[in-house]
Amino acid sequence: MMQRAQTTLTHPSDPPAARPGPKPAGASVNSNPAENRAAASLPVVLPGVAPTDVHPEVDAETHILTVDNFKLAYGKRQTLHGINMKIAGGKVTALIGPSGCGKSTLLRSMNRLNDLVDGVKIEGDMRFKGQSIYDRNVDVIDLRKKLGMVFQKSNPFPMSIFENVVYALRIAGERSNARLDEVCAKSLKSAALWEEVKDRLHSSAFGLSGGQQQRLCIARAIAAEPEVLLMDEPCSALDPIATQKVEELIYELRGKYTVVIVTHNMHQAARCSDYTAFMYMGRIIEYGPTEAIFVRPHLKETEAYVTGRFG
Amino acid sequence: MSLTAISKRKNTKARIISGFMYSLCVIFTGFILSLLLWVVGYLIKIGWQSVTVAFFTQVQIPYGAEGYPGGMLNGLLGTLVLVGMAAVVGIPIGMLAGIFLSEYGANSKLSSPVRFVADVLAGVPSIVVGILGYELLVVPIGNYNGWAGALTLAFIMVPIVARTTEEMLRLVPHSYREASIALGATKARTILRVVVPSAAGSLITGVMLALARVAGETAPLLFTALGSRLLTVNPNQPFPSLTKQIYDYATGPYEAQKRMAWAGILVLISLIFVFNLSVRLIARSKHGTA
Ligand SMILES: Nc1ncnc2c1ncn2[C@@H]1O[C@H](COP(=O)(O)OP(=O)(O)OP(=O)(O)O)[C@@H](O)[C@H]1O
Ligand SMILES: [Mg+2]
Repeated sequence: MMQRAQTTLTHPSDPPAARPGPKPAGASVNSNPAENRAAASLPVVLPGVAPTDVHPEVDAETHILTVDNFKLAYGKRQTLHGINMKIAGGKVTALIGPSGCGKSTLLRSMNRLNDLVDGVKIEGDMRFKGQSIYDRNVDVIDLRKKLGMVFQKSNPFPMSIFENVVYALRIAGERSNARLDEVCAKSLKSAALWEEVKDRLHSSAFGLSGGQQQRLCIARAIAAEPEVLLMDEPCSALDPIATQKVEELIYELRGKYTVVIVTHNMHQAARCSDYTAFMYMGRIIEYGPTEAIFVRPHLKETEAYVTGRFG
Repeated sequence: MSLTAISKRKNTKARIISGFMYSLCVIFTGFILSLLLWVVGYLIKIGWQSVTVAFFTQVQIPYGAEGYPGGMLNGLLGTLVLVGMAAVVGIPIGMLAGIFLSEYGANSKLSSPVRFVADVLAGVPSIVVGILGYELLVVPIGNYNGWAGALTLAFIMVPIVARTTEEMLRLVPHSYREASIALGATKARTILRVVVPSAAGSLITGVMLALARVAGETAPLLFTALGSRLLTVNPNQPFPSLTKQIYDYATGPYEAQKRMAWAGILVLISLIFVFNLSVRLIARSKHGTA
């Protein structure tokens, strides 16, 4: 796979319409003429920047999530301008970009959490395993069970640690105490929190430190056994040790879960993701294998951002 | 130029103002507290002797009869039953309305009229509600009755409970709702399992205030339950209540009954106090944060 990636690297000077390289049959967004038109009419974000939001190596993966020319506006304020993205199943995909560029918005759109915000208008679609997410007939509840979310700010419920972790099981109607105990222990272990809280599972979650609360939220999301884990800056409030634990966790989750993680920490993106998308002002500017984005990005804008000279 | 790390406080004006404000706060807090202590102390002093065993075990006995002046058992029981019935009707309606206003109100054209009506109703003098109860529930039935009394009290409770519920639920952080929804909970589940329990402590306080308020109502009962000298819990008949009995005794000519009225007030206030305290303690032990 690496080999093909190298032979099909897009050069920055290539016009976006003429992306070279063989595309895997049936997997390409650009095979849709309507989207080609949309991509062609995309207003330029940075002078001279042509987004390279389709990468052959990403294209070759099995996709669990695809984003098709997705646009979103909060009221009159357009925040996402035609996002095209394919997310590889069982891999870790990082979203990076300066503050306010729409990373959280994109992430929250993936499990339709933006439905809760008043005045949100969307266009385009996203597909989970080929099935439209924004279709009118979609069972949103079921969708959200499959796409779990960890928020930027830890938000444990005002309940005991145990009740927090088994919340998803409780609402699914799980009655067996043995099963609840088992899932609770397993999830807390996965989130590297078990040792710290095993003696006080039934005390309030508010007695935990900020970092512990965040790991509790991760455990709570894992306990629901989602297929995709959406993580919005899960480490922004954590100390280096807790961060490392979460990163190890993300590393262990790969394969079993698909992880989409938003981060401002370039090292974190480089360390724990397989693919990285660089976003800027509501667009994906460059998307590809993490190594390619960090070591030999195509666009100088991406390079400037990942090396910390801009953004 | 001194070389100390932190310069000395110079801003004496700010200090004086802050000290002055602080003393004002202390003075007024002390004023309110002593007022409260004075009222309670006075009540205890006057009413205490009449809070006897007979007070709790006997009904009213007329002047001249054996055992005069008897007790207030019928009124006490009547008030408990009336407030209980009012709570059964008023709390669910009020809470559901409050949940609607807070959780579903944003997308509904109904919410601002409902809120307006609740605010107006909460401000209507209780005697007006009593007259309404008389017209709707006493005149058609043909006699004063307990149902009318209870429903009138419920009517007074609803707007209070609805508005406090709304206010308290609004204080629950939005992030709890999001977290729950993101875990695949329905909106109803989220409200029942996360939003309402998070606000449980303050919701209980709001409900208690509404209960205490109606337990002390007299005017609406004058037109609806009327009151009764009998020990009865039959809501089809005129219904006894502590407040009405206190009113009768206090405005009557007999010294012994006037003292009994003071005892009644003392018992009413103590009941509300103890009830309030125990519910809060239970809520605290159950939810950890109250
Ligand atoms: N609920 C909302 N209502 C209106 N505008 C919003 C809302 N949420 C986000 N926005 C706007 O959308 C834009 C993108 O926000 P978003 O939270 O997606 O950025 P972000 O990339 O996650 O930034 P950060 O790195 O700071 O978290 C911002 O300009 C923000 O002001
Ligand atoms: Mg964000």
